[in-house]
Amino acid sequence: MYKLFKKEDFINSLYKIKDYKIFVPAKEGYYHFFSPLEKGISPDFSFFNTRLSPKSIIYPQSERMFEFSLNKEDPDAFILKEAEKEFPLQAIIGIRPCDAHAFQIVKKNFDNPDYKDPWWTKRYENTTFIGLGCNNPRNTCFCTKVGGGPFSEIGLDAIMYDLGENFLIKVLTDKGSLFLKKIEGGKEAEETHIKQAEKIKKEAEAKIKTDIEIEALLKKGILQVFEADIWEEISFPCINCGICTYLCPTCWCFDIQDEVYKDKGDRIRNWDSCMFPIFTLHASGHNPRAEKFRRVRQRFMHKLKYYPEKYHDGVQCSGCGRCIIACPTNMDIREIANKMSKI
Amino acid sequence: MMQHYTEKIKEIAKRLFEEEKIDIFIGYEKGTNPFFPRPTLISKIEDVNKLIWNSNCALNLCNYLTGRKERIGIIANGCTSRSIVTHILENQIKREQLYIVGIPCEGMLDYRKIQAAVDNKEILEIKENEKEFKVIGDGFEEAFNKEDFLQENCLACTHPNPVIYDEIIAEPVSTRAARPEYEDIKEIEEMPIEKRRFHIQKLLERCIRCYACRNVCPLCYCPTCFVDERIPWFGKSIDPTDTLTFHILRAFHCAGRCTDCGACERVCPVGIPIRIFIKKLNKDAFEIFSWEAGLSLEQKPLFAAYKKDDYDDFL
Amino acid sequence: MNNWKPNIVAFLCNWCSYGAADLAGVSRLQYPPYFRVIRVPCSSRVDARFIIAAFRNGADAVWVSGCHPGDCHYIEGNFYARRKFILLRELLKFIGIEPERLFFSWISSAEGTKFAETARMIAEKVKALGPSKFFIKKRPEVV
Repeated sequence: MYKLFKKEDFINSLYKIKDYKIFVPAKEGYYHFFSPLEKGISPDFSFFNTRLSPKSIIYPQSERMFEFSLNKEDPDAFILKEAEKEFPLQAIIGIRPCDAHAFQIVKKNFDNPDYKDPWWTKRYENTTFIGLGCNNPRNTCFCTKVGGGPFSEIGLDAIMYDLGENFLIKVLTDKGSLFLKKIEGGKEAEETHIKQAEKIKKEAEAKIKTDIEIEALLKKGILQVFEADIWEEISFPCINCGICTYLCPTCWCFDIQDEVYKDKGDRIRNWDSCMFPIFTLHASGHNPRAEKFRRVRQRFMHKLKYYPEKYHDGVQCSGCGRCIIACPTNMDIREIANKMSKI
Repeated sequence: MMQHYTEKIKEIAKRLFEEEKIDIFIGYEKGTNPFFPRPTLISKIEDVNKLIWNSNCALNLCNYLTGRKERIGIIANGCTSRSIVTHILENQIKREQLYIVGIPCEGMLDYRKIQAAVDNKEILEIKENEKEFKVIGDGFEEAFNKEDFLQENCLACTHPNPVIYDEIIAEPVSTRAARPEYEDIKEIEEMPIEKRRFHIQKLLERCIRCYACRNVCPLCYCPTCFVDERIPWFGKSIDPTDTLTFHILRAFHCAGRCTDCGACERVCPVGIPIRIFIKKLNKDAFEIFSWEAGLSLEQKPLFAAYKKDDYDDFL
Repeated sequence: MNNWKPNIVAFLCNWCSYGAADLAGVSRLQYPPYFRVIRVPCSSRVDARFIIAAFRNGADAVWVSGCHPGDCHYIEGNFYARRKFILLRELLKFIGIEPERLFFSWISSAEGTKFAETARMIAEKVKALGPSKFFIKKRPEVV
């Protein structure tokens, strides 16, 4: 089901929606970020992608999971209680297909038969994803090589095609349909619009030329790649910060910390990065990944070998290219994947 | 000038390997991001042709020296060479291990200003000549004056020429500023207190605690950073008080040692002008103690030295 | 508001200022009981992280006191300390901690009266300023 909206009508409608918390890409300084749509924020859809992924809308960087009281008078003292919070209906407008695909990858970790993360699943259920396809992918994009595409519909409730003055919106799910009913001014799309959208899609897909040897890499043995002597050289530039892991829409690792203030305590979950030296520090003091090359190896092995081995559904990467653009020492996952595939 | 340095650096590195004066050479190579050339470690003479130098080589290579035991050839411009002096004074590397190829520097380009000037179109390649640079992307090309797009710290640079080197590859360049400029710091200092608090909190709002600023800094080499101490000084969440604590305490640990290379601000993924804290400390060190870090191996670090008539307006 | 008693953390160097505090005590010199004393071997032991931690934990003021420059028990500790202190006070002022909440003094172990006087002066100033409201870490501000 296709609907056509004039861009200004679409955006003006968004401001009127009261029962969803709406996130739109907005320019802040040099970069775009997904921000809640409130007074003073104007959506800006002329962007490649947001600097930070929309990961934090479903999975906040710091989240209070439990709280506890240390007051001996309190009958519930020393008992962990789940922190009360709200999970309002949300909608992310203008999410790129790579980021929507990424949520499906992360879902395998937070929502599977063995384990369901209560906070992640509740937020995910209450979120509607209205995607914006990419007319003009970057040279750092490689979504088509990892199971996605500039107009891929994976993980989306509706997808928008930017036709210049108008958005052509294809509804994909009931959730999407429910949300779009709140946007005024739409009319039925005509054949010409749909044909124009098809053309844009084909041209966008053709633009992605990066060669990344995923097929060959998937066939390599895990130990073979792990024990190859390429890692010292590959890891030299890395400064072990958390930029790649924190900007990555498919990274999911976290650390749990207890913080106490007077007689109240909080058990908090924070994003953590395998790049940080103490990521694998044991209570005994032993650190199996004390050296840099082990940590760098871990990141690429996890994304490109361990994840496929466990879930048999491609690699843990959606080709958004944020790590390539933002890494201060130009660690390039495409080059590293190709080196791994040539062992 | 800068664009001819690449050939000279390759020549020198080749000669050093031939004469067996070094075990490894640390420099930059071309990567896939024109704004962030990749730091590289050359250990074989065949690889010296990978070395490059351009106006985007703006990290501080001294960061890669800590704890190394080999004989190392390294390229260093003004700020990097001063960081190397600090490293030697603090016993993180020995002078005898290093063969420093000095580079008189005309300033680094600010990639954020450049991206803004081309309306954020993707830039695939940058070509430079003496005064200008050209950015090339899919279907567009545009030329600019380097002078209009230099990094903030380079515009106020007081030491563009290396202060320590074994060989310098060109004539020293003239110094751009007579003394370091601190107008932006003065502006914040003069704000009324509530406005100042709000200004600083707003600045740090986007911090995601990736620690890139800390990790790219050559001064931050503590085996266990205060951030990771077992009994915590502050929390690991993105609580604003904790984030502010991290930045001011890290700045204070760099007080009297920072050479304003600008790497911290360049690498911040969310574009925070993170230099203001250490710049404030550099300003005070300069105005109160006439101190600039890393100028000479004979000059003891700021907090490891004293004068009888130091500032003493205490109770 | 009138019942509020300031919480002032005092880092006193063992050899001089702590001795002065002791002397003030045995001489029964009076000063308000707002001070939590932490004895350190030398004023230069006082790291920036201690002062920052004190403010984070709600201290209304921090006072660091050591031997007179030139008389340090460890010869030169306080020479380095005074360089750190001025830079730290300026930095904290920059981020919005009132400089009137941070005190540095040199008090020798014979100066019991100076200690009591300084303590009274500091107590008065801090009472006038009011409780510290900025840079205090409470429960983490997270979702």
